[in-house]
Parts: sequence; structure tokens; C-alpha cells
Amino acid sequence: MNTLRAEFHEQLEGVRSDLIRLGAMVSETIGGGTAALLDRDLHAAQLLIDGDDVVDDFCLGLEERCCQLLALQAPIAGDLRFVLTSLRLISELERSADLMVNVCKASRRIYDVEFGPQLRGLIEQMGVEAGFLIRAAINSYVDADTSLAAALDDIDDRLDELQVNYVQAIFTRHSEANLGLQGAVQLAMIGRYYERIGDHAVNIGERVMYMVTGWLPEHSGSARHRLRGAGAEDIKPIDLIEDLVGELDAPEERESGSSDEEDL
Amino acid sequence: MIGWVVAAVAVGCAAWAVAALVLERRRGASDAVGVALAAPTPVPIGEIDLAGAGSVGADSGPEATSSPELGAAVTRAAVSESRDSSDRPPELSTADAGLLVRLRMAVDRLEHGVVIWDGASEIYRNQAASTLAEARDSHVLVAAALEELLAEAVSGRHVRRSVELFGPPAESFVVTARPISPGGGDGAIAVVEDRSLQRRTETVRRDFVANISHELKTPIGALGLLAETLRDEPDREIITRLASRMILEADRLGRTVDDLLELSRIEFGDESEFATVAVLVVVAEAATRISSAAEQSGIELRIDVAEDVAVDGDQRQLVSAVFNLLDNAVKYSPVDSEVLVAALDDPEDGVVRLYVSDHGIGVPRRDLDRIFERFYRVDRARSRETGGTGLGLAIVRHVASNHGGDIQVESTEGVGSTFTLVLPRAEVNGAPAADEAVVGELPGELELFDTGVAEVGPDRVEVET
Repeated sequence: MNTLRAEFHEQLEGVRSDLIRLGAMVSETIGGGTAALLDRDLHAAQLLIDGDDVVDDFCLGLEERCCQLLALQAPIAGDLRFVLTSLRLISELERSADLMVNVCKASRRIYDVEFGPQLRGLIEQMGVEAGFLIRAAINSYVDADTSLAAALDDIDDRLDELQVNYVQAIFTRHSEANLGLQGAVQLAMIGRYYERIGDHAVNIGERVMYMVTGWLPEHSGSARHRLRGAGAEDIKPIDLIEDLVGELDAPEERESGSSDEEDL
Repeated sequence: MIGWVVAAVAVGCAAWAVAALVLERRRGASDAVGVALAAPTPVPIGEIDLAGAGSVGADSGPEATSSPELGAAVTRAAVSESRDSSDRPPELSTADAGLLVRLRMAVDRLEHGVVIWDGASEIYRNQAASTLAEARDSHVLVAAALEELLAEAVSGRHVRRSVELFGPPAESFVVTARPISPGGGDGAIAVVEDRSLQRRTETVRRDFVANISHELKTPIGALGLLAETLRDEPDREIITRLASRMILEADRLGRTVDDLLELSRIEFGDESEFATVAVLVVVAEAATRISSAAEQSGIELRIDVAEDVAVDGDQRQLVSAVFNLLDNAVKYSPVDSEVLVAALDDPEDGVVRLYVSDHGIGVPRRDLDRIFERFYRVDRARSRETGGTGLGLAIVRHVASNHGGDIQVESTEGVGSTFTLVLPRAEVNGAPAADEAVVGELPGELELFDTGVAEVGPDRVEVET
């Protein structure tokens, strides 16, 4: 029995270290994609687009292992939340890598567009912020650090602000007739992709808080909803998990930390 | 067995020998507890030794005898092993054990990551490789590549892969893995090398050759074409125009060569005359030289340098450095903006920091550590517009290093750049550096009042009090 448990914990460790590796892959994709975009390096962009298949393959394998862990080891309590959180993280990270593929594809479409120093500077800063957020999110997961996880939302404000300035700079450059409409739209989308990566990092933070405390920001909304009596019969999947985990304290009422979607 | 040692010396790395020794010990230990060996082909130890000695020893060089002590120790280990019955772990003599410990420590000290596998599991990992594996950043990707290559090398192949990380900072690694014995079967060893510096040096050298050719060839090409057109041109007016273009191109070429000469003079540094120099004098002279260019673009120079700030240095070189910084600031600033020059006396660190700050186009992050190279251009397409020689910042860097100082840069694209020239501070006791005599050397149009805050604007040179 002891060897079984040891094997189980080894498998959990394996999931953890593979998620670190996945996080490193994604943060490299962000750095590489930003460089390819700024350097007009079509070859590098193509390599990254192809490289996403490697990320997808890695994600599939990791997800498969998490499912096997659930099915064969039937983890409970903290271990269960760890595996569930890991599953969620895989999809958040996989989606972030896809967003960088979108950036690379967009960079091919605006190959001949001159960005100008201001936009270039902002793109670079957004790339740095997005990479930083992903690394911080992974760190919060590995250390089960709830304060870092909770801070991600605030850290993401910086990226959001950069994106707002960026869109403003696109307007300015467009109005100065230095940037065509097509290029402007593509560039705006690129800003959006970076901003979304930040949101995924914030989601990871929320999931890490769930992993440690069993609490999700959505719980507040869900409690409000039930208090209003509108959805008494409406049982959400999250309630099922609550029952499954069965060790939740009454969640405190807190402000929802979900990130606002700002339109261009 | 000797063959392995030969191999170790031949690759210039003690890791191989550790592989041999560690493997021996591990193998013995495994036998003792009766666990099956995971190596693909479990062969009696004596046979492996012979095979190894035969095939690797064949290509041994003159180094074969250069490590008799190591060879003897390993041979002793092999001999004591062959005497042992197979159900007992081989006992290393104290000397051999000491050697093993020292080898381990030596490999731990290597900057290269070293990992040794016996086919299924790890038997040794040095400090650098452990750090890689424990990393949470992109370095884990290097660790992952290392494991993949080890798995390939165990089956007898020699594999090599380079891993480029975007960071930031960008890094470059090369991972090599090879089987420990020629046919495989004894596990594999992998070595990780950090090639970031080499990669950078290579790029600098390659770009220098490309850039200097470009800088020299462009005006020469233009001169050739202009002369060709001129030869058959009857129209007096056109001849005049072409000739003045030729003069322009010749000037340009002349400036590049002048800068190159200046740079090599500064690099040799034998003409430098060190003395106590007031920073304000240096800045004022450089500012006077740049003022007409600044005026043309409507750029205001704000100078905020206290007159008692002084450095130890060669005045001519310092003026040249500050002029080049100002030249860049003016060149890359938008019309009607401001360039600030400020000096900060830092007695604690014994230095003076001279800041030249602009609101120009800025430098892309990836170029920041390269702009001090000769002829390095952030935007080559635009270099002719600004008319520089591509040597300005290289001169600044050499002046800084001649003075035992440093040049630093902070920049954000589209926001501006700040260059900081760090120079050794001159000890001024009692006599302020900018006394009558020094002020007397100031260019006529600069007046100084007590604050020493001067402003050299596009259309005025005046002092703020």
C-alpha cells in the first residue's frame, strides 16, 4: 500500500513538473512570437506556428495522465483539487499558446506595415507583461501561493492599461495616415491577443486559489443568485464538485475578481 | 578500463572518468542487493573493460599517458573488482574513493551541466545540471531536451541539439549526449553548454564585417556612379550639381574614416592626458558644437550641471564622448523637443554620473546591448537620413572604458532614451574645479552664474538662475 501511495505521489509530482514545463513552453512562445512580430521574421513565425503542434501534443498527453490519475487513483480532498486544477491549467496554457499563434499569423498578414517606434515599444512591453503574468501564474501554482494567485488580477491591470494605450496609439497613427485600416485592425487584434493571455493568467490564479482554499470567485455570484431564490433547482457543476470535495467552509462574500472584458 | 580514462582525457573533461567510476560502483551495489540491471546488455564487467580499452584506446592520442595517476587508480579499482566475487560490492581503496570524491567535486564545479544515465535511470547529475532541472523558467526546456537526448544516446547514438531561448534575456544552449562505451549498453552522458556569449560574439563579428563594408561601400558606389554620369555630361548646371553631390559623398566617407581613426586612437589610449576636468566645461564645449544642429531641428538643450562637479580624465576624449551622445540625442529626437544633460556627483561611489536624456524614438530592447558596437545600426534603412557614421556610441564606450568608467542606457521605444556616462570623480579639495581659470575657457556665448544651470536653446544661449 505504501509503495502504491508513493507511486501516486510520484505521479502527482510528475504532473506538477510537466505543468512547469508547459508554462515554460508558453512563456517561450510569447517571447519568440513577440520577437518574430517585431523583427518581421516570417521564418520564426512559421516555426512557432508549427511548434504549437508540439504544445498541443504535450497538453493532450498531460491531460490523459490527469484523467488516468482521477480514474485509477480516485484522489480525494486536496489531491483531487490539485488534479482538477491541473486539468484546468492545461487548457488555460494551451489557449495562451494558441493566442501567440494568432499573433504569428497576424504578423504574416501585416508583413509590410511599418509599426513606428511607439507601437513597437508598446508591443514589446505587452509581450514582457504577458510572459511575466504566465510565469507568475505558474509560480503561484507550484508554490500553492494564494497571495500571488490573488495578486495576478491586479498585476494584469498593467497589461490592460498597456493595451488601452496601445489601441489609442493605433488610432493616432492611423489618423496621421501612417497606418492603413487593414494594418490598424490587425494590430488591434494583436493587442487583444496579448490582453487575453493576461486574462488566462488571471484564470490560472483563480484556479490556484480554488486548489488551496476550495473557493472560487464565481462562488460569490452563485451565492447571490441562490439568495435571490431565482435558481433554487438550478444545480451547477460547481455545486457537484463542492459536494464531491465535501470540505468546504462557507465561502466568505468577496468581490468577484473576474476580469472585465474591455472592447476595442 | 584504461580506454575510458583515455577517452576522458581526450575530451578534456573529467566527467567521463566519473561516469566510469560511478557506474562501476553503482553496478556493484546493484549486484549486491540482487536487483536486475537496467542496462540494455548486462555483460560481465571484465569484458566491458576489455572492449572499452580495445576500441577507444585505438584512437588515443599522446594524452594517453598524461594522467598516470588517474589511470592507475582506475586500474586498481578494476583489479580489486576482478578479485571480488560477484556477490560482493567492489571495494574502492581509500585512494580511489578520494579520487572519486574529488572528481565529483570537480565536475560539480564545471559551468557545464553534466548528467550520466545507466540506461533507465540517472546515476549522476552535477550542480549545474541540477540547477537546470529545478528551474521554473525556460531553463526547464533545456533540462527536457537533455533527458530526450540521453534517452537517444543510451541506444548508442551520438546526438546534439541546440536550444534557443527567447527569455528575455535571450540565451543559447547546446546539449550533446553520447553513449559511454562505443557500442552503447553502459548508459550515456550528456553535457549542456551555455553558448550565449559565443553566440553573441559571433554575431558581433559577422555584423561588423557586414556593416563596415556597407558604410564604406555606399559612398564609394555613389561616387563612382556620379563620376560616370559626370564624364559625358555637357550641361554646366548639372555638372555643378553632380560635383556638389560628389563632395557630399566624399565628406561622408571622410567623416567615417575620421571617426575610425579617432576610435582607434581612443582604443590605444596612449595619447590621453589625464587631468582634473570640470564636467560643465566638457558639456559646454560639446553643446556648442551641437548647437547649430539642435537649432535646425528646434531642439532645446537643457544643461543642468553644477560647476564644481569634476572628473579625472582627458578633456578631448570626454568632449568627444559627450558630443556623440548629444549628437545621437538630437538626431533621434522629434522636432521641438528637449534634450537634457545633467551631472550627478556621487562621492560615495567615487563617480560622477552624466545623463543625456531625450524624448526620441528610443532603442528596441533587443538592440540595447548592441548599439555600442562599431557600425551597429538599429534601423539600417534610416541610417543615411541621419547621416551618422555608425561609430559614435563605440567611441563613447571606449572613452568610458579608457577612464575606468562605464556607459549605460535605458530606453523605451517611442518614449525616449537616457544614456548614463559614469566617470571617476575628481577629488576637489578647497579649490572648486570651475574657478576663474576654467570658466575662462568656456565658449564665449555661455555665461555662468552661481547655480551653473545653463540653457542652450535653439535661438538663445542663456543661464537660468
